[in-house]
Amino acid sequence: MQEATYLILTALAAGSQHGYGIIADVTEISGGRVSLRAGTLYTALDRLKTDGLVAVDREEIVENRLRRYYRLTPGGEKRLTAEAARLHANANAAMRRLRPGLAGGQA
Amino acid sequence: MNQSARLERRYRRLLACYPRAFRRENEDEILAVLLACAQDGQQRPGLAASADLIKGAIRMRLRMAGRPPRTVRAAIRLMWAGAAAELAVLVTVIVTAGSVRSAVARRYPGLPAAQHAVNVNLVTDYIGASIGIAVWLVLIWALVRGRDRARIALMANFGAMSLSMIIAIGQDSAAYAPADLIAGAVEWLIALAATVLLFTGTSSRYYRPEPRPVTPWRGTFGSM
Repeated sequence: MQEATYLILTALAAGSQHGYGIIADVTEISGGRVSLRAGTLYTALDRLKTDGLVAVDREEIVENRLRRYYRLTPGGEKRLTAEAARLHANANAAMRRLRPGLAGGQA
Repeated sequence: MNQSARLERRYRRLLACYPRAFRRENEDEILAVLLACAQDGQQRPGLAASADLIKGAIRMRLRMAGRPPRTVRAAIRLMWAGAAAELAVLVTVIVTAGSVRSAVARRYPGLPAAQHAVNVNLVTDYIGASIGIAVWLVLIWALVRGRDRARIALMANFGAMSLSMIIAIGQDSAAYAPADLIAGAVEWLIALAATVLLFTGTSSRYYRPEPRPVTPWRGTFGSM
C-alpha cells in the first residue's frame, strides 16, 4: 500500500471527513512531512471507492460549494488494520535489531 | 471578473484533462478543495498543483477498468514495450537519415534516382513508424478501458505485421536490414505474446464477463 493511501485511510479511521479535512489531517498525521494535493487525493479516493475500501458518507452545500464526506467501509477498516499490523511488526523487527538490549520492549 | 472567479476558471481548464464521467461526479467538489487550499489573492494555479492535477488526470485515463487479471496487465505492459520499440525505430531512422543519404550519394554519385528512392524510403519509414506508435497507443487506450473489440483489432494488427514480415523477407526488401528486420521481429514477437495473453481464458472472462442470470418470469398470463 502506498503511503498516501495509508494516510488517507488513517485520516478516515476516526470518522468521516471531507476532501479538505483529509488533506489537513494527513499533514497533521505525518507531522507535516506529507502534504497531499487535490489531484493525488481524488485519484486515490476514486481507486479506494472502486476497491470498496472507502464510501461516500454524505454531502453538504457550504457557501454554495459541494462538500462530500467520505468514510471507511468495513473492508477499509480491515485493510487498514492489516497494513498497520504489518508496519508495526516491521518497525518492531527493525528496533529489535538496532537495539538488541531492548528486544521485546517498546518499538 | 474577480480573482477567485479567474482562479476557478483556470482550475476548471486543468480539470478538463480528467475523463468526463469522473468530472461529472467530482469536478465541483475538487474545485471547492482547490479553492480552499488557494492563498489569498492567488490568481493562477501553482506549478506543483497543476502538475499534480495533470498527473492525476493521466493516471485516471490510463487506469484499467475493474480489476484486470495478471494476463491482461502483462499484455498491456508488453504493448507499452511495443510502442517504445517503435519509437526507438523512429528515432533511429531520424538520427541516421543523414548518414544513409550521404552513403547512397557516395556509392551512386550523379544518380538522382537513387537519392530520390532513399528520400521516399525515409519518408515512408517516418510515416510507418509514427502510425505504428499511434496504433500501439490507441490499442492500449482501448484495452485499458475494457473494450473487447480492441482484442480483435490487436489480432488484426498482428496479422498485418505477420504479412508485412513475410513479404519483406520474401522480397529481401528490408531497407535497414538486418537492423530493420530485427526491430520488426521484436515487435512481431511482442504482438504475438500480447495477443496470446489477451485471448487466454482469464483475459476473455475479463473482457466478456458472464451475463447476469435472468430471473425466470414467474407470473401468469391469466388463469387457464
